[in-house]
Formats: sequence, structure tokens, C-alpha cells
Amino acid sequence: MIFNSIDFAVFLIVVFAFYWFVFKKTARLQNIWLLFSSMFFYGWADYRFLGLLLISILVNYFLGIKITDTKKEINKKRFLWLGLIFNIGILGFFKYFNFFYESFVNFVNLFNGDMEFSPLKILLPLGVSFFTFQMLGYIIDVYKEEIEPSRDILGFSVYVSYFPKLLAGPIERAQKFLPQIKERRSFNPALATDGLRQILWGLFVKMVISNNCAVYANYIFSDYSEVNGSTLLLGTIFYSFEIYGDFSGYSNIAIGVSKLFGINLMTNFATPFFSTNVSDFWKKWHISLTSWMMDYVNTPLSFSLRKLKKAGLLISIVCTFLLVGFWHGADWKYIFYGFLYGLYFIPLLFFKTSNRTSIVAKGQLLPSLKEVVQMVGLFMLVSLTSVFFRADSINDAFGYLSGIFTPDLFSVPQFQSRGMALVIMAFVVLFVIIEWITREKNHPFVDWETKHGVIFRWAVYYTIVLLIFVFAGQEQQFIYFQF
Amino acid sequence: MEKTEIIEKLGRILSTVLKHDKFEINEALSATDVDGWDSLTHMLIITEVEKEFNIKFKLKELNKLQNVGSLVELVHLKLQN
Repeated sequence: MIFNSIDFAVFLIVVFAFYWFVFKKTARLQNIWLLFSSMFFYGWADYRFLGLLLISILVNYFLGIKITDTKKEINKKRFLWLGLIFNIGILGFFKYFNFFYESFVNFVNLFNGDMEFSPLKILLPLGVSFFTFQMLGYIIDVYKEEIEPSRDILGFSVYVSYFPKLLAGPIERAQKFLPQIKERRSFNPALATDGLRQILWGLFVKMVISNNCAVYANYIFSDYSEVNGSTLLLGTIFYSFEIYGDFSGYSNIAIGVSKLFGINLMTNFATPFFSTNVSDFWKKWHISLTSWMMDYVNTPLSFSLRKLKKAGLLISIVCTFLLVGFWHGADWKYIFYGFLYGLYFIPLLFFKTSNRTSIVAKGQLLPSLKEVVQMVGLFMLVSLTSVFFRADSINDAFGYLSGIFTPDLFSVPQFQSRGMALVIMAFVVLFVIIEWITREKNHPFVDWETKHGVIFRWAVYYTIVLLIFVFAGQEQQFIYFQF
Repeated sequence: MEKTEIIEKLGRILSTVLKHDKFEINEALSATDVDGWDSLTHMLIITEVEKEFNIKFKLKELNKLQNVGSLVELVHLKLQN
């Protein structure tokens, strides 16, 4: 059930109605209903993995309690390790088994071995990378005594399986989520309407911006050896807006849907293309993953390597981003993608810059020339790097990139339907302008009713709905569902 | 060692690591107030603090730090033990 489908719309209306009209009496009833709805949602996608989700919930729930209730430090550590092995084991088996197996076979064959690679038929459970990371963070936080373990199996199950974020995040933290479902939620009209507006914006970005850019990106990436350099460069830009629109659109819908149930999820994107360096970019792109990696990988690693000073920082940041890349999938192209970002951090370590998370040109209408150059440079770097993310293999990525840097980079791009391409580009420009103007907000419609009259607001809503109906691109599955 | 002395030394470490002194060192100062004090340089600062006072931090202790005041408090505690 993807968010922009009729199935989901019907599901959402039913869940919403029962939540606020039938199960509204106590927090317990509300949570029972959310858990039931979430399990239904997951089972609808693929009922075979419900068992895995339930086992993960139970095992982590009991491990959390065990870690806290055990007196001896050595036993606490044992339970922690059990949790780490269990969760990483799930990921390792379902997501990475064939990758390691194939890499091992190739390695043996390098030394004149004669092994044959016959992959196991393993289906990737939806959302496994997301809920497993939540569980790892939870177990570690309990061990570090940063949070009390949950002793409410119902609440804990809702935390893990809550349907708005189950398939592709945000990767929520227990300390932010659990307190919100402890008490009975009462209907907050302001929050709910804000959620609806955020959903509308997310749908527009996903269906109009992302899906249309996807058509051109797909065409250029599949025929990359046939087109000229300027087309290839344009292809990377289309892809950047495809993936950003896809995942930020998804996140806006997820966060908006959650607001309908009175629950706030964390911000996942903060206009990342308006960044002046790589560090700034990753503080605004897929924030729930990056902050997870910073807290649970980079900080402990750089702490243990602190004697090495800058070299220690360098090793940790490269390792952290290798893992960010690998998290996306079992493929060398993702590992290389992460590795490149690790390398991009090196200049930041050696040439002091202001690394404060910043809203570019805060409070002003236009950025300075220096900021424009930095943002465009960063955007091009991100776009070129995303070739490794998008290409079918690491060889294709190198082939694609070498195709860009040829003399015909300065020729006119080749397109099948030029008129439509120009319309899409106009949408992208409009999108960038809207994002720029509202870059200090969580989404463009924040505080919308205090600023604009009812007629203007509804005119805008209807225009967006109309644009979605007229210009919605060919249906594309959400990219992050595969991770 | 007096807390005022600790805070003074911290100020010097900050300006050495960050290569500027565009901040006013006091207990309420936190990383977000200081240019360049981010998650990367934080570890360099911590290493220098350990060296200067000849102490060892635990990661758990660092996670709880809020501002210069709590860092001073922690260093003070470590020096007494």
C-alpha cells in the first residue's frame, strides 16, 4: 500500500475514523488500534514478514528489560551483545547474505578457485533496515542508561511498527516517540490540518516533481552510452530532483499522516540543496539516518581513536560514511558512494570552516554571490556523486561519468520530447523557488492560515490538486522502500 | 584546582583548536554558540582537555555534557578523585 494510492487513502480514512471516534477513550485503546492497523498495513504489503517483525519486537523488548534488571555489568554487556548480534544478524541475513556470499566466491576464484555462485532466494522484508536501526539504537541507549527500557509491550510494539514510518522512516528514537503515546491523545485540529497540508505538499513533490524527473533520468541512465555529455549532466540533475522529491516527499507524507494521529515524527529533510558544504548537506539530508550514524557509529569510533587526533577523525568519518553507503544496499556502488562522501569531508577537517548547521542567508531574500557559488558547487558535487547511487553497477557509473566530461558537454542536450522536458524544468525551478522562500520552515505551509486568507489558501490547494491530476508523472515506486 | 582556573584553561584550548577567539568563555557557553565547534572538532577539544589536565573521560560522561559549565564540573570532579 503506497502512500499515493487509493488503497492507502481508504485505509487512512478508516484508521483515522476509528481512532478518533471508537478507540478514543484511553491511551491503551488508541495504541491497540494503532498496533492492529500497523500490522494490517504491513501484512497487506507482505504477510510473510509479519512473523519477523513480531519476533524483532519481542526479542528487543525483553533484551531491553534484561539489560537494565541484570545486576552484574558483565551480564549487561552480554545482553547488549546478544541484541547487537540479533539485530545485525537479521539485516545481515536478509539484506547482505548473497552479497557476502558472492564476494567470497569471487575472492576464492581470484586464486584459481572453482566455486560457483548460486544465490539463495531471500526476499528482503520491507522496512527491515529502518526498524532494525531503531532497535539497535534502542538497545544501545538502554545499555548506556540514556533511556529506561520500555515495560509496556503494547506501547513498544506501536513504537516499532507504527505504520506511517514503518516502511521507510524517519528512523525514530524511542525517547522521542514513546512519551507521545503514553498518555491519551486528544484531537488537535491545528496539528491535523497542518498534517494535511504537509501531506498535500509531499504528494505534489512526489507525484509531479519526482515522478516526472524520473522519466527523464530513467531514459538518460538507460541509454547513457548513446547521448552526449550535456544530456548526461542534465540526467544527473534530473536524478537529484527525482530522489530528493521521492524521499523528501515520502517523508512529508509520513510526518503529515502521523500528525493526524497526534504524534510528531522527526524532521527528515531540511532543504539540503541549500547547503554550503558537505557537512552542512548531510545535516539536512535524511537527517534521521545521518544523526543515527553520528550518534552510534561516528561518536564512539572517533572517541576511541581520539589519540590519533585528526587522523582519528578522518578514519571515523570515512568508516561512518562507508556504512551510510552500505546501509542503502548490498552493492559495491553504494559502498563507493559512501566512501566518496567520507573523502569529501577531509578538506573540512584540515581547512577550518564554519560548520554550524545554517540556514543560508537567514532572514534575507537572496543569498550572497559567494553563497550561490558554494550552493551550486555543492549541488553539482551531490548530483555527480549520485550517479553511483543510480547507475546499475559501479562500471556503468564510471562509464556514465566519463561520458559527461567530453567536448560535447558544451553541445545542446538531446531529448525525445523537448516541450515536456521544458515543462518539467519549469516545475523544478518553481519547486526550488518555493523551497528557497520557505527554507526556514519544516514545510512550505507552516503557519499558513495566520498569513493568508481562506480564499487564497483554498485557491492554492485546488491548484496543487489540479497540477497533481494533470501532471502526475508515471507511477514510480518509492525508491527508499527497497532499502 | 579552582574552577576559574579550569575555565581559563578551557578557553585557551578552545582558541588553540578552533584557531580563533571570537567567543567569550563562561559557564553558559555551549558548542552551538562557537564558530567551528561541531561534532568533528569536539573530539579534538576533548583530547586536548584530557591531555592538559591529565584525566580520562568516558564516552558516557561526554554524552551528558551541556555546556562549558558542565565540562568544568566534570573536570573538577575528575581532578578531585
